[in-house]
Amino acid sequence: MVWEHLNKELILPQIDAKDSADIFEQAGGKLVSLGYCKDSYVEALKLREKDFPTGVDMGGVGVAIPHTDVSHVLKKGIVIATTKKPVTFVQMGTDDETVNVRVVFMLAVDEKGHLELLQAILGILQDLHVVEKLSSAQNPEEIINIIKEKENSL
Amino acid sequence: MKKKVIVACGGAVATSTVAANAVVDLAKENGIDVEIAQVRISEIESNLPADLIVTTSKVKRDYGVPLITGMPFISGIGADKTKEKILEVLK
Repeated sequence: MVWEHLNKELILPQIDAKDSADIFEQAGGKLVSLGYCKDSYVEALKLREKDFPTGVDMGGVGVAIPHTDVSHVLKKGIVIATTKKPVTFVQMGTDDETVNVRVVFMLAVDEKGHLELLQAILGILQDLHVVEKLSSAQNPEEIINIIKEKENSL
Repeated sequence: MKKKVIVACGGAVATSTVAANAVVDLAKENGIDVEIAQVRISEIESNLPADLIVTTSKVKRDYGVPLITGMPFISGIGADKTKEKILEVLK
């Protein structure tokens, strides 16, 4: 279950972010300061996003799942950030199509795999109703509860 | 005959894992013997020849092999159509 892996310190509701780089600094910075990732992680995220964008259109609602090479990661972690205002991401699989995003699941993956966790995260994000609820949640507890409720309903 | 499918994304750690798993399940359900090479986009060429490439990233080059986007396995939208397309190539 995804909710069991969540750390309240890594849940950042309603951040002020002007663009994706801003989100990477705030959310990625958290992973660095809490010892999940090396200092190089944030720059690596920005660089990778240019070549391999991580916005996903879930059917009218956008989410982003930024992540980068394992060499920048010390231990696995998930940051969930939501933004007050939509931020533009380029869509995965394209180099020019954009999507407006308010819910970001940033992944620190430490090795190949994590298949079940990734599939579980995507399963949560594919439910537009859940994405809407996440984007309006005001605190970490609320976000964890939304995810827990969704997972327990499956 | 065993079919080889290259599944590629930017880092070979995240989205291609999900797409690769979807291809494996699909092949199993349809009795197709597949070998999966899960690689970075930059490693596609060195893994050829293959029967099919599935990718979650933009690929501009033509590798002379059918290429199908695996994005529906990430977004959940249009996954059934993508499965049909993959089966057409592998059958």
